[in-house]
Amino acid sequence: MIFIVTALMLEAAPIIDYFKLKKDMSIHPYSVYKGSDIAVIVSGVGKLKSAMASVYLYNVYGTGKNDILINIGFCGTNSQSFDAGSLLVVNKVTDTDTGRDYYPDVFFGDGIPQIPVQCYPKVVKATDLTEQKEIFCDMESVGIMEASKKFFFAHNVRVLKIISDYLKPHNLDKAKLKGYIEMNMPILDNIIKEMRCLNKGFSEFPPQEEKDSIEALCLSLRFTQAMKLILSKEVKRAKINGLEPLPLFKQFNGIKANSKEEGKKYFEDIITKIRQKSV
Amino acid sequence: MRTLLQKSGKNLFNSIYIEEQAYNYPVVRMVLEKYPDIPVITIRNYKDVFNRGNQCFQLQKHRQSLILAVKSSPFLYKGPEVCQDFGYSDFYYTSFLFNCIFDCEYCYLQGMYPSANVVAFVNVDEFKQEIENTLGEKKAYLAVSYDTDLIGFHNIIPYWDFLQDFFTQYSDINVEIRTKSANEVFYNEFLPAENIVVAFSLAPQEIIQKYERLTPPLSARIKAVKTAIFKGFKVRLCLDPVIINSGSEKLYEPFFRNLFMEINPDKLKDVGYGFFRMSKDFFKRIEKQKSDSQLYADQYSITDNIVSYPNELREQIMTRHLSILEEYLPKEKIFTL
Repeated sequence: MIFIVTALMLEAAPIIDYFKLKKDMSIHPYSVYKGSDIAVIVSGVGKLKSAMASVYLYNVYGTGKNDILINIGFCGTNSQSFDAGSLLVVNKVTDTDTGRDYYPDVFFGDGIPQIPVQCYPKVVKATDLTEQKEIFCDMESVGIMEASKKFFFAHNVRVLKIISDYLKPHNLDKAKLKGYIEMNMPILDNIIKEMRCLNKGFSEFPPQEEKDSIEALCLSLRFTQAMKLILSKEVKRAKINGLEPLPLFKQFNGIKANSKEEGKKYFEDIITKIRQKSV
Repeated sequence: MRTLLQKSGKNLFNSIYIEEQAYNYPVVRMVLEKYPDIPVITIRNYKDVFNRGNQCFQLQKHRQSLILAVKSSPFLYKGPEVCQDFGYSDFYYTSFLFNCIFDCEYCYLQGMYPSANVVAFVNVDEFKQEIENTLGEKKAYLAVSYDTDLIGFHNIIPYWDFLQDFFTQYSDINVEIRTKSANEVFYNEFLPAENIVVAFSLAPQEIIQKYERLTPPLSARIKAVKTAIFKGFKVRLCLDPVIINSGSEKLYEPFFRNLFMEINPDKLKDVGYGFFRMSKDFFKRIEKQKSDSQLYADQYSITDNIVSYPNELREQIMTRHLSILEEYLPKEKIFTL
């Protein structure tokens, strides 16, 4: 599942249109829009809100280790190196409140410039800066990074920033801003494709069906946790060797062990049969 | 995924992370000059990147980043029991690098480190200082290419440029550089010394193909061994780890015989021999990550928290292998574990 967090509806609207997402009417605390494997949430402005929204989205739709969290939103900068509307990949996030740094892995997006972002608790104007050095500032990235640490793999978190202004954040033209997001939608689409592809080699192992099958057998034949572990390993080993040991379980369907001793006999029988198959 | 993560020919590393305090070291300047196109990220401490939670080692291995850092003490560690000490009671190792550019399936580093990124320490002088203080007066065995492959990394950071003269001064410190690299230039670039041993890890080509991704083929390694011997280097062959899963045991006899047809055993300092073994904790961690690996799905026995083949099987195979090795080398030149 791809989770996209934006601070403003203005940032979310082009994404919702591009991926043809529908509002999830069952969700009330946030505006959430959903497609088959993409969900967009409008978090509100600030790191706390972005963290809360990320966790909320994960709780509602999270599926497991292959979930992806993307934050896309505007940032201001005093750098003249990029045009307004440029999309940049963030490789370092600094919390200006705590001084703490976060480092998302950047495994894709060759050719997209990378920047470090400073996450501020309020909107930054050029006149607020005391130093001359080049900075990029936003207000949500820290929340994304902090929330992601608990629930997502480091490589499945992406912070993307689009330059909205040169630290003159007053009277920004909303239509123009929306246009910046629309303009970058093909790049976002590509990044999502790359991240999906990255996770393809990491499909859940063992599959749920196999887990259920082992669980049911262990329950009816009164296997202990240790026996379940050994059985799971034997099944895994057989599968790596190109065999399909699950059909073996069928002959034990409907059998119930009346004691642990009886279960132990069934266990030995099953293990021997799997091993015979593996030889 | 593999295609996506394939390292581009242009850049060996995905990103270069540099500690703030490391910028003034010559190694950093050297790396930045060599790789001007790789994105550079300034960090406070290498552990902020290297020790992050929820990193995927296997995925990072396909696109490693380089972390340049300043190491703090300790710089020297006592050699672990699972490693051969080649007869020295004072056995130490040091790590100028964490992780390796090669990708061996059996490597314990996958279970030891949370990240596959390479950490390269730039304060070589402080390493030298501690080696001098601790081992200066001792007769010791020091492994300098543990947890990594220093010669394999030589074209990225030439650590030996900083170490060769230093180690030649301390003739009582027996220095081992272990490698799978076939970089012959290394042996033309440096002079041999009595106390410096180049230890080549060798295995049958089938094992290399199956388990040692990104490493040079056996033929190239044998060529490097010959060059090293020709140039006067002390050479050790490490037939370690011997892997006997899925019938691979039969590969070893022809491998040994071919090896000593190519390399004159009289020219070798010694040979190390050991089976695939790993700490139980590392094994468990790797087993979890490598869910499709046959090596980690196979059955082993656990003795003193070390996962390896059952004792009986090891004894049986080792006896057979040693009888072949002893046809070529005297017993006292063969070290086993």
